[in-house]
Amino acid sequence: MTATGVPPVELVAPDVHAHVLAEAERIRGLGEAAERWARDEVNQPRIDDWLEAMGVTNPRWKQGEAPPAMAQVWTMYGLGGRPPADDPLHGMMQVLTEAGFTAVLGTNCEQEYHRPLRVGERVRVTTALESVVGPKATGMGVGYFVTSRNTWYVGEGPGAEVVATMLFRVLKFVPKGAAG
Amino acid sequence: MTTTPVPSALEVGTALPAWELPLTPTLIVSTAIATRDFQDVHHDRDRAQAAGSQDVFMNILTSTALCQRYVEDSLGHDVEIRAIAIRLGAPAYPYDTLTFTGEVAEVGEDEVVLEVAGAVSLGAHVIGTVRLARQAGRAGGAGGGVVR
Repeated sequence: MTATGVPPVELVAPDVHAHVLAEAERIRGLGEAAERWARDEVNQPRIDDWLEAMGVTNPRWKQGEAPPAMAQVWTMYGLGGRPPADDPLHGMMQVLTEAGFTAVLGTNCEQEYHRPLRVGERVRVTTALESVVGPKATGMGVGYFVTSRNTWYVGEGPGAEVVATMLFRVLKFVPKGAAG
Repeated sequence: MTTTPVPSALEVGTALPAWELPLTPTLIVSTAIATRDFQDVHHDRDRAQAAGSQDVFMNILTSTALCQRYVEDSLGHDVEIRAIAIRLGAPAYPYDTLTFTGEVAEVGEDEVVLEVAGAVSLGAHVIGTVRLARQAGRAGGAGGGVVR
């Protein structure tokens, strides 16, 4: 779902709004894009670091299965990584940043786990832009809600298996009190 | 560590025991790094304050992870978590306490839905919906999931 219609002029200039929506449509059209592989296979040392930091003592995660809430961890960019140029979420964020919506706030994260990941598996992830909704006047400022969908896979080709998905929503906004 | 006996049957409205987690700078930083999230606002107080925050704050992957821990520690380590959907509210800063509460919202044919919330002094930090398999998917799982 993408926002349509003319926004109240006091929130966002009509040409800016039209540009944001046009870019959202273009980027949505990319579908699942920016496929990336996890740097490492699912591995016990990284699971152990996570268990220690979270204080998780469940022995199940010492026996070759990864905790479900780690699904996203394997494909995080890490300290030096950067999103690929064609990444839909990154692209939409850039559009909004350049339009003056410089601040960002995560609002929703919905993860589904289709099956447990096992040590030794290497996941890959795609990113799609799901929707851009706005402009909305929020307590933080005026902005757009940007929702992306990540899909994690094990394997390639016809045998590829979806192991997890995530809807992630951020508010991209002009901070209250900012000039302009 | 399971500190609470698993109820013989979960019914709508069954409350999970409250869980209080004191937040330290070490917890905020170590969990961010353990989730491979190197955004500076999660480990560098100067940068966090320059960005308008009072301090470093918990990252989203950790909010999700703590929902997993809360449900596992409350209901048993063999629960099969199918989904964790969270809404984010107030930031979780060091020296605050994150208090989780929860209850059973739905008991379906093959699924149990829990509503959980993690509150800090500023209000709700996380409001989550956690979906569990009603029976453990693993053959031979001790007890067969949350409804035994």
